[in-house]
Amino acid sequence: MIKRVKVGMASCGIAAGAGEVLELLKEITDEDKVVEVGCIGHCYAEPLVEIETDSGNYMYEKVQPEKEMLEQMLSLADSSRFQPNPKRIDKEELLITSLAGKIEPTSLEEYRANEGYEGLEKAKRMGKDKIIEEVKTSKLRGRGGGGFPTGIKWSFLASKDNENKVLICNADEGDPGAFMDRTLMESLPHQVLEGMLIGALATDAYKLFIYCRAEYPLAVRNLNIAIQQAVEVGLNIIGGKPVEIKVKEGAGAFVCGEETALIHSLEGKRGTPRYRPPYPTDHGFLGYPTAINNVETFANIPLIIREGGDSFEKTGTDNSKGTKLFALAGDLNYSGLVEVPMGITIGEVVYDIGGAEPGSVKAVQIGGPSGGCITAEYFDTPIDYDSLTSLGAMMGSGGLIVVGTNRCMVETARYFLEFTTRESCGKCTFCRIGTKRMVENLERITGGEGTPEDINVLKDLGKKIKQGSLCGLGQTAPNPVLSTLNYFYNEYLAHVEEGYCAAMECKALVDVFINKEECIECKQCIKNCPVDCISEGYVIDNNLCTRCNSCIEVCPKDAITRVAKGGVVRVENQT
Amino acid sequence: MSKIKLNIDGKEIVAPQGQTILQVAGDNGIEIPTMCQDDRISRTTSCFICVVKDTKSGQWLPACSAQAQDGMEIETKTPEVNDMRKTVLELLLSEHTGDCEAPCTISCPAHARVEEYVRAGRDGELLKALKIAKERIPLPMSIGRVCPRFCEKDCRRNVLDNAGVAINDFKRLSADLYYEDYMENRKDLTGEKVAIIGSGPGGLAAAYFLRLEGVSSTIFEKMPEPGGMLRYGIPEYRLPKNILDKELAHFEKMGGIEIVCNKELGGELDLNQLKKEYDAVIIAVGSWQSSGMRTEGEELAAGGINWLEDLARNGWQGEDPGETIVVGGGNTAMDCVRSALRLTKKPVHCMYRRTEKEMPAEQIEIDEAREEGANFNFLTQPIKLRREDDKLVLECLRMELGEPDASGRRRPVPVEGSEFEVKADTVIAAIGQSTLAPEGINTNKWGDVEVGEKDCRVTENIFAAGDCVSGPATVVEAVAGGRRAAIGILAYLKGEECLFPYKINVSRGHWQSLSSEDLTFLFEPGEKGRVKQRLIDLDERVNTFNEVSYTFTEDEIAEEGKRCIECSCTAKKDCNLKDCSESYHADPEKFLGEKGHAGYNSQHPHIIMDNGKCIKCGVCVKICSEVVNEYLLGFKNRGFETKVETAFDRPLPEYCTECGKCVEACPVGALDWKKKED
Repeated sequence: MIKRVKVGMASCGIAAGAGEVLELLKEITDEDKVVEVGCIGHCYAEPLVEIETDSGNYMYEKVQPEKEMLEQMLSLADSSRFQPNPKRIDKEELLITSLAGKIEPTSLEEYRANEGYEGLEKAKRMGKDKIIEEVKTSKLRGRGGGGFPTGIKWSFLASKDNENKVLICNADEGDPGAFMDRTLMESLPHQVLEGMLIGALATDAYKLFIYCRAEYPLAVRNLNIAIQQAVEVGLNIIGGKPVEIKVKEGAGAFVCGEETALIHSLEGKRGTPRYRPPYPTDHGFLGYPTAINNVETFANIPLIIREGGDSFEKTGTDNSKGTKLFALAGDLNYSGLVEVPMGITIGEVVYDIGGAEPGSVKAVQIGGPSGGCITAEYFDTPIDYDSLTSLGAMMGSGGLIVVGTNRCMVETARYFLEFTTRESCGKCTFCRIGTKRMVENLERITGGEGTPEDINVLKDLGKKIKQGSLCGLGQTAPNPVLSTLNYFYNEYLAHVEEGYCAAMECKALVDVFINKEECIECKQCIKNCPVDCISEGYVIDNNLCTRCNSCIEVCPKDAITRVAKGGVVRVENQT
Repeated sequence: MSKIKLNIDGKEIVAPQGQTILQVAGDNGIEIPTMCQDDRISRTTSCFICVVKDTKSGQWLPACSAQAQDGMEIETKTPEVNDMRKTVLELLLSEHTGDCEAPCTISCPAHARVEEYVRAGRDGELLKALKIAKERIPLPMSIGRVCPRFCEKDCRRNVLDNAGVAINDFKRLSADLYYEDYMENRKDLTGEKVAIIGSGPGGLAAAYFLRLEGVSSTIFEKMPEPGGMLRYGIPEYRLPKNILDKELAHFEKMGGIEIVCNKELGGELDLNQLKKEYDAVIIAVGSWQSSGMRTEGEELAAGGINWLEDLARNGWQGEDPGETIVVGGGNTAMDCVRSALRLTKKPVHCMYRRTEKEMPAEQIEIDEAREEGANFNFLTQPIKLRREDDKLVLECLRMELGEPDASGRRRPVPVEGSEFEVKADTVIAAIGQSTLAPEGINTNKWGDVEVGEKDCRVTENIFAAGDCVSGPATVVEAVAGGRRAAIGILAYLKGEECLFPYKINVSRGHWQSLSSEDLTFLFEPGEKGRVKQRLIDLDERVNTFNEVSYTFTEDEIAEEGKRCIECSCTAKKDCNLKDCSESYHADPEKFLGEKGHAGYNSQHPHIIMDNGKCIKCGVCVKICSEVVNEYLLGFKNRGFETKVETAFDRPLPEYCTECGKCVEACPVGALDWKKKED
């Protein structure tokens, strides 16, 4: 007997076509039983549908909006049942995302049925000092990347004697490829809200903001519904006074994730950072004492209060407690959102959970675009705040991009730096102009026009931008370049000295070549070439070729490859 | 108030809590540069030129915003800090678009303040124009006639209508009108005396600039009359000698400059004697030795400069040279051709081994020579000269142009079997000149006098200037060299090292690479083309040595002045970025890349807003919002694309009260008054 049909309707599911699946399911089965849930993190398998029955739950992957397929699924057929990677199940530890994708995000009832708001109730009984004590005991550190102990930050705010204290949830998740906060807000908005209300209770802050990027409409919707539901039942009444909670949509500037820039934006000003100190706990939103915590940090709070700081503290390493969410992306088999205990090694995440083939991975970029890259030889490093920093990377907010052996590290560094350069607010000289000059420099190198002097300039300027920039964005922007210069210096050198890109990725340094011995003259390449640069004799005119890879992709015999620049000579010799 | 203790540059300092490092340092006499800090507004923390290092924490801090904390150990002047600041400046310069100084001034060898004297001329203030020109050019009447006008070739006006402003004519008119009315301020004579050998433009300029500083001089001239190349090398029709006499009279009037003629080094003058009798000696003997044709029979040809010299000694009354061939393509060759044309009715030919395009002579000289009837034989090389009866026979080869040589010009190569002969009465070889340096003086590989790069010193108290240092060049270059030698001597007399301060000049680039969109116009540039130079009748030209061109009238100068677009920076005298860049030796070319936002807004009648110069410090934005309370300026875009704009892109005039606070606070020339002060 089917009790409920749960369709994963977070952004990742919708993007994979879950919306159509949902509509069709409502047509062919009891509409009331079809419900929308959040994301369980296995993005590679979306759309995912879970069927709750008397005899247990069954999950189906890559569900298509086809009647036949859905009917088969509703008959609980074995065929397309979801078989998660067993190694992942083994390595993950779901402390804060255990309900994600399992419950209806906008159902207060269902959240409450799963211990929701029990933390808040307990917190009300504990009183503010004990809450902060408990958070301190848990040794929870900020999950936005900085790693500042949350309990200590709250105690700063709590100590301020001011009626207008402000608590802000930083939901301006801007790293490309990172979606930890989005998933939490879409799938578990009440859990985030509960964490914030506990924070308000602990610090006497009666004004709460969630600063969320406008590109997350579903997160904004779900949060607003959750807030409305919580207010309706009075969950926001603390000490007899109502706490005001507002979702503020940001315009999508990466730098507005920096706390002083975020405050400026919230105040209606240009989103640029200012020099600290004074810190926001002294001088924050409109000058009032303000604390800012990340979405994931708040999502940890209900559990800590419910289970106790001691219990939380048991997971993780000495200096990094609890779990961390990572958004896995790049050259691996199982992309998605994972929750792993602090202290797990990079290798376990990349190979076991991500399913990357050993030997196919060159490095990971960890900590977002301004993190650093870590080479495969350091993959036994445990993931915690301090180990990552010591390798020139950083925890960041949890982006983890796997870089395959087929990637050029100079191009990879250029890609990340181009992002931060575009996202610079333009306020301070080093970041505004320095990063731009570094990108131009990298463009010269990948364009085959670099010189050894360019590499020296990259090193020198990179160091100075880190030292002399006003905020974290500039201070970390050169990291991808400096860390690749550190670990992949030879790749840079080969580009500037020999005009050689070993990964064959830099267009200016490669030619495209048809191996006549493999070629079956099927004309596929000729037909698909957008610039008509392949002759009837199957010779590519590399002066016209745009290196778009169309021919390589369509060749049924894999007879076309990129070769080092100058391969054109070889082509001519063969014909 | 509680006190804190910290260390800045090794100095233990006690300061009140709550002050920035900049304030504490300033209160204790330690200067930290800043461009974006202004006490009237909240901190902008943008330029980072004030960056200092706290060695205690290893952190780099913006001194304008970071509070001084107890126990800090701040470094503000170490090489490491200076290097950091230099990089800041080089980054700012890398996107800074504009012309610190106008290209006319940069390309003028004497670096005269051209834009300023042109503006004075335009406004009818010709005496003022003369005063400004004479700051660097003590021979404005002569140079106003003979200068090849480096300034006009680089003039930004060329972008609009392919013709530079007729700059030199401003000098000429202002000097013609007021030369005798203006006596410059001279320092009292110090008693120091310098001997100058040679009264050409190099020697005269050295004497002039020494005299301004109170140093007297005696100029020794080997010829019967002073002026050097001005008198004996430049033909009367270009520079009338009565004009030169007028100009030279001024030097004697200045008091302390004595010109003694008919005294030649190696004759009555002995260098060893002079260097003992005088505090210093300047060798300015010019470059008077004609180069031969390096062919058989070359001795039958006259040397170009020597032929002119003879003519000059004769008061430009030479004999009819008959049919004349002048070999060479430079200005001296043109002077010979045009002088010969004035002396004979027979054909006068110019023979040059490359084409007209490669001729080093000024185009106007070539054009005027052609008007006067000169024949040009290009791609022709003489190989032998011989006398046959009463005629000279020049054996020649036809040439064609081959690969470019070191000078970038295509090398002429002989065409096989193309030998031919031409006959003439006179052959003049104006191939080039070289320096005949005084005995015992070090020379370089070209035979020119070797001097110290900065102080123009040869050895001990002997200095040198002019053509004998540079090789044959122009009058204005000799004048510039004379001034440098004077500066070298003044430093030497004070016992100081001659140091030229590090200077930078940001430039938009050569006008040929620009379009009018690349320029900033303070006002609508005049539309009229260049005023045409009026010349005497052609008949008079070919029959007399009368001066060929007329001086512009005041009306013509006023009209021509409107063509100047005043392209130098409005803030060139008070640019914080330039000052800092010069003191930290920042190189504007260190980081090359995209320039970012150019574009300007000149809608306001009195204020120009030039985005290309803006360093995005945000001071103007905050001054207008926090001090004036008008909120007329704001930032737009982000990152490298950031720019300051007027609110809602509305032009300033509608509501700006012209209080000028933003203009005064702007550290560069991004916001400035349109009207320039001289």
